[in-house]
Amino acid sequence: MTSPDDGSVDGVTLEELGDYLDRGREPRDPRIEGSPACRLALQALESIGTLSRESFEREAAREPHRDDAWIAGLLDSVRHEVVAGREVPVRSDDALTTLTTSEAAVRGLLRRVGDAVDGVVVRSTELEGEIGEQEAPVTVRVTVSARYGLPLDGLSDVLRGHLLDALGQHTQLHVAEVHVHVDDVHLGDEGPDGTGRPGTGVDDGTDEGGDR
Amino acid sequence: MICTRGGAPSACVREPREVDISSADRLAQASDATLALRAGDGDVQAFEAVARRHGPLMRVVASRLLGTDAEADDVVQESFLTAWHRLAGLDEPERLRNWLMRIVTNKAIDRLRTRRDHDDVDDHEPPAPRRESPDHVVEQRLQLDAVWRAVDLLPLDQRRCWLLREIAGWTYAEIAEALGTTPSTVRGQLARARRSVLAEMEEWR
Repeated sequence: MTSPDDGSVDGVTLEELGDYLDRGREPRDPRIEGSPACRLALQALESIGTLSRESFEREAAREPHRDDAWIAGLLDSVRHEVVAGREVPVRSDDALTTLTTSEAAVRGLLRRVGDAVDGVVVRSTELEGEIGEQEAPVTVRVTVSARYGLPLDGLSDVLRGHLLDALGQHTQLHVAEVHVHVDDVHLGDEGPDGTGRPGTGVDDGTDEGGDR
Repeated sequence: MICTRGGAPSACVREPREVDISSADRLAQASDATLALRAGDGDVQAFEAVARRHGPLMRVVASRLLGTDAEADDVVQESFLTAWHRLAGLDEPERLRNWLMRIVTNKAIDRLRTRRDHDDVDDHEPPAPRRESPDHVVEQRLQLDAVWRAVDLLPLDQRRCWLLREIAGWTYAEIAEALGTTPSTVRGQLARARRSVLAEMEEWR
């Protein structure tokens, strides 16, 4: 396919062919596209690129057992650097005691409560307002991905209800509004029962501790 | 989780654990964009899913750029720490993979630069030994072996150009800057690399 000395094909050098491929074969070069040998060479160049990427992927997939140790180390470092954010008042039975938790913990609670709703994966959370001050109105924004095919308004209502319950149970935030924003859908995943059945809506919520 | 009528009783007993598992499962299946947003939100579990999904390829790329596995581990670790700090401001979460690849190649290149500045380590290490393929392997596997070997046999400079271009998708100018050379040199190196890989592959065929 290539001439032995400089590797040119029908008078086109490999440099030129490579450049042309890297440009996405635009603008169209009749000298190259008009030569069957050049087109073959382009195909070969493209395929070694693809094969090379695949060979790297395969190599990467070969050593899954190595993952655990370094990932554990990585997560340790990362946990030390979780930004706690502002303080949030927490409900206490004792009127003389003031308890607070971190904004990060409350956002973690929102994620857990949201994920517990069938068909929902929480993407991001936000607490707006003076969350450190009791009685100051707070707006909660939760952005989620919903399983394809679920009725979205019903889902938002259920989710909103669960978020409100959990915040009421575990914090003293004065929640003025909860905005649920579905900005992505995902295909049905198979649950542990393997049925991937459409949601009954939610689980019963008794397990959502919010105590971490 | 509601115990449905007719469901096995054991399903009720193990309820909390199942919730945990399904949450981890769901994250493992979530899109890159969802994981990036969540990790940017401070969710360590989502970040773990990112590291498991993309870490291995990043390590292979780093190790082929640097020539050592031990250093590659460091570089990947550093890359993920950097990613953790920057995830919250990530503009295009759906391009998470490219973004991570960019970080890890940059870090690996930084290491190479430091090496170049300090001493001239002979970094032309022998190619990694390949396991022998069993007899029944399909053609596809042999082909992947062949291309991996072909890239491995390239002189280090050419291999780096190849990696940055074909695996990481850098432009000639970016590669030139990173490797402290000119775009036309990169172009020449890439052409030579391509010629060698093509020749190897033709021999294999």
